[in-house]
Amino acid sequence: MHELSLAAILTLVCATAAALILIHYLIRRPKLDARVRMRLLFGLGVFPMATAAASTAYGMHRTTERSFCGSCHVMSKHEADVDDPESTSLASRHGRNKMFGAANCYICHADYGMLGYPLTKLNGMKHVYHYYIGHYGKMPLEQALKEIRVNKPYPNSNCMQCHSGELDSFENVREHRALQQDLLTNKVACASAGCHGYSHPFNKDQPAEEHAQR
Amino acid sequence: MNRFLKLLAKWPTEKALRVCAALGLVALALMCLGVVDPRPLQVVISMSVSQAFGGLAFIGFALSIAADVAQARMRPAAPPPEQSGDSGAS
Repeated sequence: MHELSLAAILTLVCATAAALILIHYLIRRPKLDARVRMRLLFGLGVFPMATAAASTAYGMHRTTERSFCGSCHVMSKHEADVDDPESTSLASRHGRNKMFGAANCYICHADYGMLGYPLTKLNGMKHVYHYYIGHYGKMPLEQALKEIRVNKPYPNSNCMQCHSGELDSFENVREHRALQQDLLTNKVACASAGCHGYSHPFNKDQPAEEHAQR
Repeated sequence: MNRFLKLLAKWPTEKALRVCAALGLVALALMCLGVVDPRPLQVVISMSVSQAFGGLAFIGFALSIAADVAQARMRPAAPPPEQSGDSGAS
């Protein structure tokens, strides 16, 4: 059972209050006087609006959690890898970092910038579409691991949201200095075999024998 | 404007309010669904369909109240109570 946040509790409390008012109105069918109108304003206006706001806040937060991403079966192995304390994949190491915690999928895959948040949520809707209306939902896991790819190459700028390329600790690494332009233009990926390793053990670009060992 | 007033005059206030209340209950249940069972489809429904239903229910409620007020104004005013002769005034 997932943890109930304040937004979730507020959703349930406001929805219950509104439901009690509406059920009372439907059963008793009182004459429409000023008091009944006021009660209905709370039952159909104030409490439902508070419920909608709280459930949206809860939903927005919930959609950033790893367990949410892993609730689609095609992502279950990715989730299991991150949850595995023995795993050395980039994703797992970031998942063990308290700065990322349960939101590590979202923090690494979110778009950044002014419209980053809504764009990330819209892209998430594409996933829902592909899963429930497209064919991902019926795809066997083994096939999904081979076929489903990120929709665009992973940008190094996402790594550099946290790993600033301007600090001495970054610039003191010889490879970083040598590849600076290639890193900025995404010609070389931070998460690649020659550099920091693949993000997930199921990466399609890694050699087949390595993939088979996983 | 005239057409809107005619619509309000014919609006079945009591029945519409009952439909709005039922629609509101459905909306509330769907909003809670995303919290109680937070899987992708349920969360998406909780943040979209349920709010559309809730919005419709509220618009229906607002129209019903406006219609009730308009209908009350259109009703012919009740005649003033008759003055009785033995009121005790001298």
